[in-house]
Amino acid sequence: MKMRFPSNSPGNLDPPTAPLSLGDSGSEPTIPAPVAAPAGPELEASAAAASEPTTGSPAAGPAPTVIGQVLPMYFVGDESHSMAGDPIAAVNQGLIDLRDEVAKHPLIGKKVRFGIITFADTAETRLQLSELSEDLVLPTLAPRGRGTSYACALEALRQTIPADVALLKSSGYQVHRPSVFFLSDGQPTEKADKWRTRLEELKDPGFRERPNVLAFGVGDADPEVIRELATAPRYGFMMTTGASTAGAIAEFASSMLNSMVASAERLDRGEQTIEFEKPEGFVQLDAPLL
Amino acid sequence: MAAGESATAGSGAPPRAVRRRVRLARGPLTIGEPAPAIEPRLAAGEPYRPDTIADGGTAFGLTVRAASVRGLHKRFVGGPRQDDLCLGLHSETQTLIAAVADGVSGAARSDLGAALAVRYATAAVTRQLDAHGDAAAVDWANAFDQAAWALISEGERTGVDAVSLATTLVVAVVSVGDSGAVSVHAAAVGDSPSFRLHGRHYDPVVDSRASEDGLIGGGVQALPRDARSVDVGTCALEPGDALLLCTDGVALPLAGGESELGRAFARELAIPPDVVDFARLLDFSRSTYDDDRTLVAVWAPRRP
Repeated sequence: MKMRFPSNSPGNLDPPTAPLSLGDSGSEPTIPAPVAAPAGPELEASAAAASEPTTGSPAAGPAPTVIGQVLPMYFVGDESHSMAGDPIAAVNQGLIDLRDEVAKHPLIGKKVRFGIITFADTAETRLQLSELSEDLVLPTLAPRGRGTSYACALEALRQTIPADVALLKSSGYQVHRPSVFFLSDGQPTEKADKWRTRLEELKDPGFRERPNVLAFGVGDADPEVIRELATAPRYGFMMTTGASTAGAIAEFASSMLNSMVASAERLDRGEQTIEFEKPEGFVQLDAPLL
Repeated sequence: MAAGESATAGSGAPPRAVRRRVRLARGPLTIGEPAPAIEPRLAAGEPYRPDTIADGGTAFGLTVRAASVRGLHKRFVGGPRQDDLCLGLHSETQTLIAAVADGVSGAARSDLGAALAVRYATAAVTRQLDAHGDAAAVDWANAFDQAAWALISEGERTGVDAVSLATTLVVAVVSVGDSGAVSVHAAAVGDSPSFRLHGRHYDPVVDSRASEDGLIGGGVQALPRDARSVDVGTCALEPGDALLLCTDGVALPLAGGESELGRAFARELAIPPDVVDFARLLDFSRSTYDDDRTLVAVWAPRRP
C-alpha cells in the first residue's frame, strides 16, 4: 500500500516559534510603541502596578504560547477510474473555487486548515494541511490505479489527523474538532470487513481526534455505505437518481465551501456539530431509504 | 428592587482625583498577528443592540468595569452582539451583583436570550437579597430557573422555540463585609468562566470543565435547557484583587491566563482603567479570535 503521510514536514503550518509582537501597534498610529515601557507619569498613584514586570519577551516557559484557533478540514476524494472525465474535472474546479473564495474572505482563511487525501486502490495525501491562500498550489486530481479502497482512505485519515493536530498544537494553535468531506462515486472494491474495521477505528470514541465525517455518494455509490461512513445519518448525502455526476460534484463543492465558511464563523462556540446544508441534487440520508 | 439605588450608597470616602494612562491615544492592543481591519456593518434588528456597551463606577468601595463588544465576525456580517451583561447593587448587604451571558451562536435569537437572562437573573438575586439579606445564601437554582423561565415565556409570547434563545449565564455576588473583607459567590451554566485575578494569576472561581479530548468544544450547556446544571464557586478578594467574569470570546484567547493575552490583561488590569479604555482594551486585535467579548471586572479596594 502506497501512502504518503505528512509525518515530519509541517507543510505551510506556521513555525512553532514564530516571533510574537506584543505591542500596542494599533492600525491607526503605526508607531510601534513598546508596551513594555511604563506608560509614563500619569499612572495612578503607585505601587503594585509598577512592580508588574512589563518586559515584552515572554519567559521561556514550556507551555507553547497560544497564537490562534484553527479548524482542520479534509477533503477525501475518489480518484478511481470511474471518476474520469467530467466528474474529476468538476472536483478540480471545485477545489480551485474553494481556495479562491476562502482566500479572499477576510476572516475565514486564517481559521481553516485544508488538506486533501485521495484514494483509488491506495490512498495518498495530495495536500498537507494548509492555509488556503491565493498562492496555494493545489494538486490536480486524475484517475489512477485499480480499485476503490475505502480502507486505505480511512486509515490515511486515522494516521494523518492526530499528527496534524499535534503539529498545530505544538505550533500554539487551539484546535477544533476536524471535519472530513468524503466523496465517492463507487463502491469499495474490498471486503466490507476491511473498510468497516478502519471506519470503526476512525469513529472510536477513544480516538481523541476523531473527526466529524460528512459523506457524499455520487454515481454508483451505495447509499447504505455512504450513510455508514458519515458520523451522523444527517451527514450522509446521496446524489438523486438520474442527476449528472459532474453537476452533483459541482454542487457538493459549493456546499463544502459554504460549510467551511459557516463552520469557521462559528468557531467561537466550538460546538461539535459542523454547519452543513444539503447540496442541490442530493438527498440527505437521515431517513430510512425507500 | 435595590438595583436602581445610588451607586454611592455606602461607598464611604468621597471620590478622589485619579489620573490614569489612557489607551485611546495608543490605539488598540494588538497581540501577535492582528485581525484584519474592517469597517463594521451596523447591526439591524429589534431590539436595538449596540456594537459596544461600557459601564463602570464604584460601589461599596469596589471598583467596577464592564464592557461587551461585538466580535469581528458579527461586525463583518452585520449581526447583533449576542453577549450581554447586567449589574445590580444591593445596598443593605453592600453587595454588587454581576451577570454575563453568551448567546449560543447557533440559536437564532440568542442575542435576546442573553439580554433577558442577565437581567432576570440579576433581578432574581436582588429579590433574594431583599428577602433574606445573606449574599452567602443565594439560591442559585432559583435564580437560574427564573432566567430560564424568562426565555421560555419570551418564546411562548413570540411563538418561537425557546431553544432559539439559548444562552450561557454566569452570575456573581460580590459582598463587602463590615470589616472590609470582600467575598465572592458565583454560579454558572455553560462555558462562561470567572476568575480571580491575583497579581498575574488567574484562579478559576467556578471550575469549568476541561475540554474534551484536548480539542476545543464538546458542546455547550445553555439556558433554558440546562438550567439545573449550575456550577458554583466562591472566593475572597484580597486588596487589589479583581474578580473577572467573561465570555469565551475572551476566555479562549486568554487560555486560563497562560497566554500573551493573559499577561497583557494582568498588566493592564493591575489598576482599573477608565471605562472607555476598558472597552478599548477588551476590543483587542488578534487574528482568528473574532467572537463577541464581554468582561466584567470588580476590584477589591486597595489598603489605604
